Amino acid sequence: MKISWKIWMLIVFLVLSIILIAPSFQKGVVIKSVEKDSTAYNQGLRTGMFVTAINGVTVNNFQDFTKEMNLIFPNATTDTTSAVTSNPTKNITQQNLSKSNSSALQNKTSSASSANNIKLIITTTDSEFVLFDNLPPAITVSDIPSSRIKTGLDLSGGARALVKAENKSLSANEVSDLVAITSNRLNEFGIADVTVKPVSDLSGNNFMQIEVAGATPSDLNDLISQQGKFEAKIGNDTVFVGGKQDITYVARTGDQSGIYSCSAYQGGEVCNFRFAISLSSEAAQRHSVITNKLGINATNPQYLDKQLDLYLDDKLVESLYIGKDLKGSTTTQIEISGSGTGKDQQEAYNDATTNMKKLQTVLITGSLPYKLEIVKIDSISPVLGKEFTTNILYLAIIVFIGVSLVIFIRYRKIKITLGVILTMLSEAIITLAVASLIHWNLDAPSIAGIIAGIGTGVDDQIVIIDEALSKGSDTRSLKEKIKSAFFIIFTAFFLTVAAMIPLFWAGAGLLKGFALTTIIGVSIGVLVTRPAFSDLVKLIVKD
Amino acid sequence: MEANQETSHEHHHSKSDWYDKWYKPLLVIPVIIMIISLAYIGFFYYQNHTIMLRDSSLTGGTTVTITGGDIDTVALGSQLKSQFPDIVIRKLTDIRTGKPVSVMVESSASPDQLKPALEKALGYSLTGQNSSIEFTGSSLSQSFYSQLMIALVISFILMSFVVFISFRTFVPSMAIIFAAFGDIVIPLAIIDYFGIRISAAGIAAFLMLIGYSVDTDVLLTTRALKRKGGTLNSRIYGAFKTGTLMTITALVAVLPSFFIVTALPDSFRQIFFILALGLFADIFNTWLTNASIIKWYCTRRRIE
Repeated sequence: MKISWKIWMLIVFLVLSIILIAPSFQKGVVIKSVEKDSTAYNQGLRTGMFVTAINGVTVNNFQDFTKEMNLIFPNATTDTTSAVTSNPTKNITQQNLSKSNSSALQNKTSSASSANNIKLIITTTDSEFVLFDNLPPAITVSDIPSSRIKTGLDLSGGARALVKAENKSLSANEVSDLVAITSNRLNEFGIADVTVKPVSDLSGNNFMQIEVAGATPSDLNDLISQQGKFEAKIGNDTVFVGGKQDITYVARTGDQSGIYSCSAYQGGEVCNFRFAISLSSEAAQRHSVITNKLGINATNPQYLDKQLDLYLDDKLVESLYIGKDLKGSTTTQIEISGSGTGKDQQEAYNDATTNMKKLQTVLITGSLPYKLEIVKIDSISPVLGKEFTTNILYLAIIVFIGVSLVIFIRYRKIKITLGVILTMLSEAIITLAVASLIHWNLDAPSIAGIIAGIGTGVDDQIVIIDEALSKGSDTRSLKEKIKSAFFIIFTAFFLTVAAMIPLFWAGAGLLKGFALTTIIGVSIGVLVTRPAFSDLVKLIVKD
Repeated sequence: MEANQETSHEHHHSKSDWYDKWYKPLLVIPVIIMIISLAYIGFFYYQNHTIMLRDSSLTGGTTVTITGGDIDTVALGSQLKSQFPDIVIRKLTDIRTGKPVSVMVESSASPDQLKPALEKALGYSLTGQNSSIEFTGSSLSQSFYSQLMIALVISFILMSFVVFISFRTFVPSMAIIFAAFGDIVIPLAIIDYFGIRISAAGIAAFLMLIGYSVDTDVLLTTRALKRKGGTLNSRIYGAFKTGTLMTITALVAVLPSFFIVTALPDSFRQIFFILALGLFADIFNTWLTNASIIKWYCTRRRIE
């Protein structure tokens, strides 16, 4: 049996595809991000490393990792080790809060040794890192993906939003500016695995699309839709606004930033945060000019008679007293404070932390140039997504078995049936490889497209088999028969492509995946698998 | 199989005579089905002012999918009906285990209104873990719908182009295009009859149908017009054998998604449901409509 070049080509494609998909059997967790200047960072831990053990205990998956971290740091919040695949339980207890009061204000990078520092040995695939700290390492981890195939939002869980400016249509340039600012903002806030990109639709509308993989952060909605216009005013005069122009530095770690007190308030709890910022010299100058005009507060003589009002999106969030010594001074150091509330202390603490992070984020990134409107938001629970993925896998197996059975019942030939099965499988594998090559996230419609593409593939194979096997009054040579089969196959191919093409643009490309995988599938079919299959059939028929 | 065909030559002949006599009257069946379908869609449009019911992704509104937990959907519905008169609640059950998989709540309200009301009715809060929320603004959904409809028309036109370029003869090409039209109209009438609410993915499935269902028509036309040898009837019969096997395998690929597992994404199930309807319709449209037209055409052109 001589194997033709077309069959060799299929084999080469198949091998390349498997390499591309790169199935991985690596145990452990992968580091998704490392906070800059943290102990973990300084010791050399970096994004992309595989953690296999902690203090000698093997870590196989994310659950193992959190369990181990909770054992080693029973009192710490697991905030810094949150991951995209599941929600770590936040356990802030009473005693822990009092601890946070001191530890959160302590500079993580300072080597000022504390008596309760814990030795932590993190083993990665290549080396070992030893950390001395009283806090869990400032890294985020997640399960190691088992292959390079990425699933879309509806299968992995996460959130997707389409955003446009309120009462204004954006040009392509304006959208790309918006995308830049928004990505920056989401990064500063610390949301991992986020993609922000401009999209447009058939009628020329431009949108910004934001996708966050994994568990959905509840504050995503706020972060996107809030313009984040921050203004600090005294009376009607603006002292400074958010963004690099006025604010040169925002403290986010160390003793200049954190939650400093919690107390009971109106049947609930309230926690207060504060952090330091540095003003640019122009903003400091403004501060001096404006405070110079102020008098002394009559009831509280140590303060000036007007307060510094902080507005976020035109809403007053906090009013700060200004010490009388600051009158007319060109101070560049200012402490910003605020609070968070909740039913109990834990809730208030979390709320304050979120508020602080939000405020810090808008101070760093500045406000967005437009007021935004979310026109579409989908958030999919990762639990549901997982169930979907499993069921789709079952379904794919059932479809394979069903189609193979039908083919076998019709032709009663093991060789032909095997040929069809192998062709179907290789088509699916090559399509998946192409999808991962172009970094396409496979959502449910995309997978439907792959299955439909394989369906047309089988149809084409039936045409080839029936042409090749046709006897009786058919006097054509085998080559002619195959040629006539390929006329049908090519016409069907162009028909599918023609029918799916409009989906690339309609509806802001949200159904592009369906069209894309179908077109990839049928293209691989006519270019690679069908020619190989026809040669295979020739071999079988000649036997 | 092939040997079988040779021995039953006599039998084949009588079948052939039968087809020669009846192929024209057979054409009436699909034409009647088509007229009924079109009339029903027209009636549906007159009643509902739309040719298909649409879900929140195409009309604007919110869909909340709640996972797990045994929820009394009837009680939930009556509780929320006063506040959200257009609320639709569906329950998805796993056929294998009979266990409830999820509950879908749909309304034209925004998530800010629907979510708190749902949480109150359920007695627990909805998080990213136990629920999914999809919201589409009403102006966006309107433009999505009209764009997908335009895409459907463009797709149909492109398909017609490819057919004309491939066959370059008027009547056979029109026969294929007519069959493809039927493959869209008949499923649409069925969907309207059952009151199924179509999502964006569902309309995408109609586009796919345009490309997918005409494969058998292309096969038939190629075999009837381009292949030499054998009688016209035997060529049509050969195409019929190949084509039905194609349709059967295609149905085997799309049907399990609603018989075996139900916990699948809604978009996924809808795509497959519409493809299945289209493939069924295509059996009539290809082997009654298209085959009769081709036979008629070949007889008049004396293509034997």
